[in-house]
Amino acid sequence: MKLLLLALAAGTLALPAFLDTEQLSIYILAGLAAMVTVGLSLLMGHAGQISLGQASFYAIGAYTAGILTVHGVPPILGLLAAPVLAAGFAAIVGVGVLRLRGHYLAFATLAMQLILLSVLAQSDWAGGAIGLQGIPRMSVGGFELDEDSHYAYLTWAGLAIVLVVAHNLVKSRPGRGLRALATSEVAAAASGVPVGRYRLAVFALSAAFAGLAGGIYAFYLGYLGPGSFPVLLSVEYVVMAVVGGLGTLAGGVVGAVAITLLVQALNDLGTQPGMPSYAPSVLSYAVYGLLLVIVVLFLPRGIVPALTRKERT
Amino acid sequence: MLSDLAGYLVTGLGTGCGYALIGSGLVAVYRVTRVVNFAQGAFAVVGAMCASSFLSVLPHGIGELAAVAVAAVVGLLVGLLATTTTPQSALIVTLGLAVFAYAVEVLVWGDQPRSFAGLPGAVSIVDTRVQAHYLLIIGVTLPVFAAMAMFFTRTDTGKALTACASNPYAARVIGIDVRRMGLLAFTIGGALGGLAGVLVTPVQQVTFDSDVTLIVNGFAAAILGGLTRPAVTLVGGLLLGVTQALVAGYGNAAHQTEIALGLMIAVMIWRAIRRPETQEAPA
Amino acid sequence: MIEVKDLVVRYGPATALDEVSLHVDDGEMVALIGPNGAGKSTLVNTLSGILKPAAGSVSVRGRLAHVPEGRQVFGDLTVEDNLRLGGRRYRQRDTGPVHAILPRLAELRHRRAGTLSGGEQQMVAVGRALMSRPDVLAIDELSLGLAPLVVADLVTHLRELNEQQGLAVLLIEQNARLALDLCARAYVLEAGRIVAEGPSDELARDDRLAAAYLGGVVADAE
Repeated sequence: MKLLLLALAAGTLALPAFLDTEQLSIYILAGLAAMVTVGLSLLMGHAGQISLGQASFYAIGAYTAGILTVHGVPPILGLLAAPVLAAGFAAIVGVGVLRLRGHYLAFATLAMQLILLSVLAQSDWAGGAIGLQGIPRMSVGGFELDEDSHYAYLTWAGLAIVLVVAHNLVKSRPGRGLRALATSEVAAAASGVPVGRYRLAVFALSAAFAGLAGGIYAFYLGYLGPGSFPVLLSVEYVVMAVVGGLGTLAGGVVGAVAITLLVQALNDLGTQPGMPSYAPSVLSYAVYGLLLVIVVLFLPRGIVPALTRKERT
Repeated sequence: MLSDLAGYLVTGLGTGCGYALIGSGLVAVYRVTRVVNFAQGAFAVVGAMCASSFLSVLPHGIGELAAVAVAAVVGLLVGLLATTTTPQSALIVTLGLAVFAYAVEVLVWGDQPRSFAGLPGAVSIVDTRVQAHYLLIIGVTLPVFAAMAMFFTRTDTGKALTACASNPYAARVIGIDVRRMGLLAFTIGGALGGLAGVLVTPVQQVTFDSDVTLIVNGFAAAILGGLTRPAVTLVGGLLLGVTQALVAGYGNAAHQTEIALGLMIAVMIWRAIRRPETQEAPA
Repeated sequence: MIEVKDLVVRYGPATALDEVSLHVDDGEMVALIGPNGAGKSTLVNTLSGILKPAAGSVSVRGRLAHVPEGRQVFGDLTVEDNLRLGGRRYRQRDTGPVHAILPRLAELRHRRAGTLSGGEQQMVAVGRALMSRPDVLAIDELSLGLAPLVVADLVTHLRELNEQQGLAVLLIEQNARLALDLCARAYVLEAGRIVAEGPSDELARDDRLAAAYLGGVVADAE
């Protein structure tokens, strides 16, 4: 198993050198989505909560990095601030919102994102509805990342960090406590698991992952607008998490990569000559919707657990 | 100005009726099946879109009714899928269906806002002119709520639905087909959602993604009554609509969303603190 | 009337009923006793069709009405509505006959079922079951949580129904003494298996059973 992981890590690290611009952008978007989805998958699978507003944390991370660097803060600090602020926001919101269960939480997180988007669109310091322009490139100690491939490596590093942290969490004692939470909150509480605190911690951690991804996104793209973070993006993350398999780290990555590639393929299909202008979006919506329904009804644990179970039998 | 206030009240009550209808659709489904139907907003959008098409060939009244009927059928279809699994999974299924609905809506009607003519003309209320259509919305919604109340408390089928909501196990024991009742609830939810869309669109254009605002507001209205009480949902919806109208009129129209959603979250948290519930085996 | 042969019922990997066989003939009153978790409710749920057998057979000749454990009335509806819902499956709307057997229900007809006492709710549950004009009644834990006087009253009604109308009864009870007093024949279910069966008076004199279910002292009739 370890050998396979090392091979994958090395392979994906080497990959950007061989990709063209368009492929690099897919690589980066898939990697960033994976960072967000791993956190969401943990949240939904281990802590048993559903978030329909995960893109909020992605947005907060992106805007934090963007606004700070636009005002002269060194980019590396901006990038580091991104997950911190996202996690802080999640912690504050979570104190109230995590008292809710199931569908109430789903709506609360959805509402949270709508409020955030509304506020961003009206705030001049965030660029308002037009957005933030001219975000400087990422630079570390004098070396400026000005090639797309640089951002691909940065994304790789970000995902690696996320996976290492998440892996350690899952294996740790708090992590096992979390798994107990997912199966039975009452039993977990009875055996001394501090339910409220754990839930909050996972919520904040998933926000941090998304925030870090958002920060990288800001530097890669160079500009931001509220329109880049619609509610549909949060739904996309949920699709990725559900399809890949809730609660497993590999599931988060597999789901994100699979859906990103699928969306790309649909985009290519939808922009063929002769296809109407709305074809790409129609195809995407149809596929997201169908995937969500089909996976929940027929493959309730997602792809990765289904595959690994097959191997064992 | 009193006339301004009157104007805001009427428009607020009108939009509030729309929210209340969506909310009552959520309540109808939740009470009987314990499923939170994320496609509820989509029912409204589908109803509105259908009405916009039907009304180019059918007369007023018939066109809207046909649209509501289509929405009811869509509700039934959603119910068919949603009732095959647990309530927690069904939530995600309805979410998926709501997204799939986008594809259908854009395919058939495109991605631009649509509207159609409602009740023409304006009415004078305390020195201010208000679109007569708002009165129509209120005038249709209130009897519908009354009819629903009568349905659930006076008819045999309505009581059977209440029984399923009250005690699904006992309902099965005495031979009530709980699944069929669930489908009926979804169909009713579809009709209520469709009605909301049909009533509100003449004064508020609808796009394929309008379902998000609709369902969030509908949920905010329904949550006041714990997702189980239609009368409270009506009050909640009206309050929400009026609050938004007042904020838009006297303050900044852009803050409407935050107020509504903030209120909703506050209510949810307040209820959760007052009545903590533990939840076993989430999705 | 009721014929259960080698019934096996499972909850996922766990076996709740393991090759259970029993029968109830026309007009009989039969008891099924056993401790908590023995599978008694599982058996009744299978009889009324809520659960499906994994193996074995269940056959019911005529109509079976199930009075579930814990009353399970529809709290938000009136007593009258509760009764009428009981007859819904067979299109029986007339509550008159049930009022005749259980007059208290006529007095309570407009009360919300959720506001009634335990004993009254139990009566509603029985009345609701009777609305379907059953041939056999399966009652799960009639006496649970009820005062002895209340139980005695219900038992009198059941005896009347059995003697006057030939209603067969399968009484599922933790209270073994009550069950053996009322019913001529009994089965003992433990951990999903029938461990004893026979005429009630014989079972009542059995030492093991007395120790487990009848408070330790054998009836000192001899």
